[in-house]
Amino acid sequence: MNKPNWFTSRFEVINAILIAAVSLTTAFSVWRTNMVGSNAADESRLGIIEAVKKQALDNENYRKVYEEAGFAYQFAVKQAEVQALEASDDPAAQDRAANARQYLLPNLQLFAQPLATDEKYQNPDGTYDLQKRLNDMPTEEEKQLDPSASFARADSLFSEQRWLVIGSVLLAVSLFWLALAEISSERLRSWGFVIGLGVYLFGVVWFLGVEIVFFYMRRGG
Amino acid sequence: MSENIVTPQAHQEYTERYKSLIVVLTVLTTVLAAILAALQSDAGIRSDVANRDSQYLAILASGELHRAGLESNYEFSVFGDYLKNLQEATVLELTALEQEEKGKNDEAQASRELAALSQARADLGEKFSVFYNDPRYAPQSENDLPRAEQYLTDLIEKSNEIVARQNEAADAYNAWNRKADLYVTALTVLAVAFFLFGLAQALKDVRLRLTFAVFGTAVVAFSLLITITTLLI
Repeated sequence: MNKPNWFTSRFEVINAILIAAVSLTTAFSVWRTNMVGSNAADESRLGIIEAVKKQALDNENYRKVYEEAGFAYQFAVKQAEVQALEASDDPAAQDRAANARQYLLPNLQLFAQPLATDEKYQNPDGTYDLQKRLNDMPTEEEKQLDPSASFARADSLFSEQRWLVIGSVLLAVSLFWLALAEISSERLRSWGFVIGLGVYLFGVVWFLGVEIVFFYMRRGG
Repeated sequence: MSENIVTPQAHQEYTERYKSLIVVLTVLTTVLAAILAALQSDAGIRSDVANRDSQYLAILASGELHRAGLESNYEFSVFGDYLKNLQEATVLELTALEQEEKGKNDEAQASRELAALSQARADLGEKFSVFYNDPRYAPQSENDLPRAEQYLTDLIEKSNEIVARQNEAADAYNAWNRKADLYVTALTVLAVAFFLFGLAQALKDVRLRLTFAVFGTAVVAFSLLITITTLLI
C-alpha cells in the first residue's frame, strides 16, 4: 500500500488556502475594475463639462464677431458714402463729407474696432477677415479646454476596464476549478488543482499585464 | 423472509447523493454569472460611451445651429441693405430723369447726388455680401438672382451632418442599454438558480434535492437562452 505523500495528505488544506487567496485576488480585481470604470465615467463627465464650457465660449465668440462685423460693415458703408460725397462737385456735399469724416467716421470706427482699426483683419478689397478675427478671439484659458482629450482618456480607461473584466472572469474560472478539485476524487482533484492554479496564475499575469500596458499607453496617467 | 439491512455508512452515502452534482452545477452557474457580468459590463461601457457621444454631438449641433443663425442673420442683413441701396439708387436716378424732363435741373442734380450716395453704399455692400463674392451663390448672369437656397442648404449641411451622427449615437446608446438591461435580467434569473441550488444542497430528502436541482438547471437554461438571444440581437 502506497503511503500518501506530504502534498496529498494536506491537499484539502492547501487547496482551501489557495481558494481563499484566489477569492481575495478576485475581490481585489473586481474592486480595481470598478475603480477604473469609475475613473472612465469621471473623465467622460469632465469631457462633457468642458464641451459645454467650450461651446458656450465659442457661441459668445461667434456672437461677438458677427456683432463686430455688423458695426464694421456700417462703418465701411458710411466711409464709402463719405468718399462719394467728397467726389461730388457740389461744395455743400463736400462740406458734409468733411464734417462726416472729421466727426462721424472716427466714432463709427470706434464701434467697428478691431476689424476697422487693425490692419491684419482688413482684406485688400476693403472687406474684413472674420475668420482671422474669430481665430484670435479665444483666450489661453479657452484654448486649454479640450473635451476630446478627456474623451480619449475616458475611452482608454473604458478599454482597460473591458480587459480587466476578462481578468476577473479568468480568476472566477480558476475558483471553479479549485472548488472542483476540493470535492473531486484523487485523480480528478489533481487535474482540477493544476488547471485552477494555471488559470489563476494566467489571470494574475493578465491583470498585471493589462495594468502595465495601459499605464504606459497613458504615459503614467 | 429476507430484509435489507441498511448500515449507517450506506444511509449516509444515500443522503449525500447528488450533492457533488449540485456543487458542480453551482460552480458552473458561478462561471456563467462571471461571463454574464463581463458581457453586461461591456454592454454598459458601450452604452455609456454612446450616451456620452450623443450628448457631446448634441452640444456641437446646438453650437453649429447658433453659429449658422448668426452668420445667416449677418449675411441677409448685408444682402437686404445692398438691395435697399441699389433700389434707392435706381429710384433716385429715375426721379432725376423725370425732374430733368420737367426742366427741374437743380432738383435733378440733387437727386443724382443722392443716387450716387446710394450707389456707393450698394457697391460696397456687394463686396461684403456672400451672395455676390462667393461664386457658389453669385448670380450666374446679370438678370439672375443670387442662389440663396443653395446658401441655406450649405449653411445647415454641417449641423445636419452632426445631428445625423448624434442620432446614430443615440440609437447605439438605446441598443446597448437594452442589451445591458437584458444581461441584468439574465443575471437576476441566475440569482434564482443560485437560491434553488442552495436549497437543494440544504435539503435532506434526496428526491426533493434532485427536484430543486432540476428546477435550478431549467432556470440556468432559461438564463442562458436570454444571454444567447441578447448576444444575437
